[in-house]
Amino acid sequence: MTSEAELDWKDIIHRCFRCGYCKFTYDYNDFNCPSYKKHRFETYSTGGRLWLIYGVINGDLQWSENLANVLYSCPTCGNCMENCRFEKFNFLLVDMIEAARAEATKSGFCPEKQKVLVERATNPEMWNPYGEPNSDNEALKKEYDLPDEAEWVYFIGCTSNYRQQNLRDATLRLLKKTGIDFTLVDEHCCTSPMLRTGQVDCASDFMNYNIARIKNAGASKVVTSCAGCYRTLLKDYEKFGADLGFEVYHTGELIKKLLNDGKIKIASNYDKVITYHDPCHLGRHMDMYEVPREVIKQIPGIKFVEMERIRENAWCCGAGGGVKIGYPDWALEISKERLEEAKETGAAVLTSMCPFCKTNLSDANETFNMGFEVLDLIEILDQLDIEILE
Amino acid sequence: MNSVEVLSKLKEIVGKDFASNKREDLFIYSHDPGASIPRPVDFVVMPKTTEEVQKIVQLANNEKIPIVPMGGGLTLSGLIIPVKGGIVLDMKRMDEILEINKFSRYALIEAGVTTGKLLTYLRENYPDLQPPIPDAPPSATIVGNVLIHGSGYLSQRYGDYGGLINGLEVILPNGEIAKFGSCALSDYWFGRGPIPDFIGLFISAFGTMGIITKLSIQLFAKPKKRDIVFGLMEDPEKIPDLLYKLTAIGIAEDVLLGMQDKPEWMKGYVFLMTYITGETQETLDEQVKILKKLYRKSGARFMKAPKKMHDLYLGRPIFAAGAADYRKGGGFEYVGAFMPLEKIPDAYKKGAEVSRKYGIPPTLGSRLIGETHTIVMFFSYSFNRADPKEMENARNALHETNKLALELGGIPWKAELDGQKLILEKMDPNYKYLLKTIRNTLDPNGIMNPGNWEII
Repeated sequence: MTSEAELDWKDIIHRCFRCGYCKFTYDYNDFNCPSYKKHRFETYSTGGRLWLIYGVINGDLQWSENLANVLYSCPTCGNCMENCRFEKFNFLLVDMIEAARAEATKSGFCPEKQKVLVERATNPEMWNPYGEPNSDNEALKKEYDLPDEAEWVYFIGCTSNYRQQNLRDATLRLLKKTGIDFTLVDEHCCTSPMLRTGQVDCASDFMNYNIARIKNAGASKVVTSCAGCYRTLLKDYEKFGADLGFEVYHTGELIKKLLNDGKIKIASNYDKVITYHDPCHLGRHMDMYEVPREVIKQIPGIKFVEMERIRENAWCCGAGGGVKIGYPDWALEISKERLEEAKETGAAVLTSMCPFCKTNLSDANETFNMGFEVLDLIEILDQLDIEILE
Repeated sequence: MNSVEVLSKLKEIVGKDFASNKREDLFIYSHDPGASIPRPVDFVVMPKTTEEVQKIVQLANNEKIPIVPMGGGLTLSGLIIPVKGGIVLDMKRMDEILEINKFSRYALIEAGVTTGKLLTYLRENYPDLQPPIPDAPPSATIVGNVLIHGSGYLSQRYGDYGGLINGLEVILPNGEIAKFGSCALSDYWFGRGPIPDFIGLFISAFGTMGIITKLSIQLFAKPKKRDIVFGLMEDPEKIPDLLYKLTAIGIAEDVLLGMQDKPEWMKGYVFLMTYITGETQETLDEQVKILKKLYRKSGARFMKAPKKMHDLYLGRPIFAAGAADYRKGGGFEYVGAFMPLEKIPDAYKKGAEVSRKYGIPPTLGSRLIGETHTIVMFFSYSFNRADPKEMENARNALHETNKLALELGGIPWKAELDGQKLILEKMDPNYKYLLKTIRNTLDPNGIMNPGNWEII
């Protein structure tokens, strides 16, 4: 929530006319709001949600379990923000839904499944939403011979550290290959799951902790392989008044920079047909569409094919906004639709740049036996020879 | 049956996920984006097939539960909000384009197909065909629009969209399925006759005669080129003569007029947009020359429009929902009124007076339908939903405008309940008698959107 929105969202939410543009793809051929496409009641469109929230604000409705359920069954993919035509309003749509979730939480209506994310993350033995024992990352530092202080911190993110260790390790190996001066810190949850699900009370403590850890490592730059962490560090920390004092890069940006600056070169072929899934929290939320594509195009031998719905018009993977934990079967259905779309391209490899997208797409790939190799772009790069040029 | 049993039966028909009486769903379906005061809804149901609609109507008829069909829900005049409670039948899951007949130029579609879907489907698969679509957002349904005598960018050339219906599949109030038009006896949904034409019975009936599940709509050849010739005039009195001459030369696909006080630079002018089409740029260039001359001779002048404006109005669908954001308050409703062309100068003058009386900057427009046989006039009122006084003003302005339209010899279009009452008060008694008789015969239990077109 921007400070502007924080002040004003309750005063402008009624501006939604429920015209319905928010439900569509760019060309109106299909519905691109996963929630509306699933439920089909107007209630589950962004317009429906905004009208319900306004109903609560003006006293026509009271919080209830079902009202919370309507608000939480939204992956916060941001398709509505792209398609709503009302300027100086459309960019706030997801913020308003998240802010209303915070109100629901305050009123005691955060759904139980989503509550677990924060119960785990605030457990001093975990500090992550997956309920795994906290890794202080000292073992990894030792394994990869990383210093205590460095110019860069690789902020692994909980999904990579506890669920997608292949991506974590590939990132560590790739960063080592590039020769940059980096280290790891004993990071805690970045707060993305808290903010996306409206459980914001302890977010500032986590933000301040992570910032302090990064600063203690003497870093002036942070790189993360997680779209959720990236959005949160860059957008949300500031909104909560945190002073970062360091630059934030997504791994895609760092690799692109190293390639474009002539510091590294990809020196072996990747002879496969791949397609790329735009993560919502990297694409629509952070406007990063070209970076991964530019990196892909620099991989020798690769055949890159695009899906029909890409960039701002991309279909969500279905994991975000608390949907994967809250509605796991539906989350897989959403990913299945993406995999079916990818199938039409003839690609053998489905790549993305978000461990959470990778998790959900992989789960659906397995559940529905779709036969893809689902890999983060960093995992592809890790398979290739990287030549250091200077 | 009590409400628990009814819900259970509805879920049995459409599946558990598509029937609801949850408070939140009922809240949403008890409102529309216009100025109507919300009214209670008991159930919301989303059928997928004709058979499901049939079973729902049979249930409603047996249990005497009111039933209200809904398309995109964008009439703005509360027509899809039940007057006497009951079931809202949201048709949007019936969203299949069943057939495109290229040679006979029609689309056979289910009731929930959106204008956006048909527009894109034709663009991608039949690029030489175009559908009649309104200026409404792409979430409006084709069926919902044509069944309210909708109009849009093809209306000037081909008439109002209700007239473009070739055939209907209807669930009658007793639950029987009936077909109207050529499809009543042929596999081809190509036209309405030559047999007695009952299709008109279902147009602007607002769901009181039956529920349409399938519809055949005429498609049209799509010219390769389209352009707009903008014009300006200061004297609304000259509109009828200009439009009479303009339509006589037969080059206009669509003709729109607009007059508004805001922004300031638009005040005092009538804006004219003539859409022209052709196969080549040369044809268009020639038409532009002809129109410039015609404008000049008829008290208007050519206006070179900024590219942004030009592109905006060439878009399909036009982003008309922008008008709803004028007050930044999420509220918008208008009186559309079918009028005789010669009354348009009065309509602009008196419509502006009504707007000003209620503190709403005049925003008026009109579109020709079928050359000059009809012109639909738009008296628009944008308001802030969060301000009860503004909503009340809008409601009062709408009511007064309905009266104005009738006084000028026009007929309010897709009229809300109060507007319907005004129309019925003025209607020929034998027309009303026949309407009531037909309705009572078809729907003796009074389940079909009761409260609308209610003849005492």
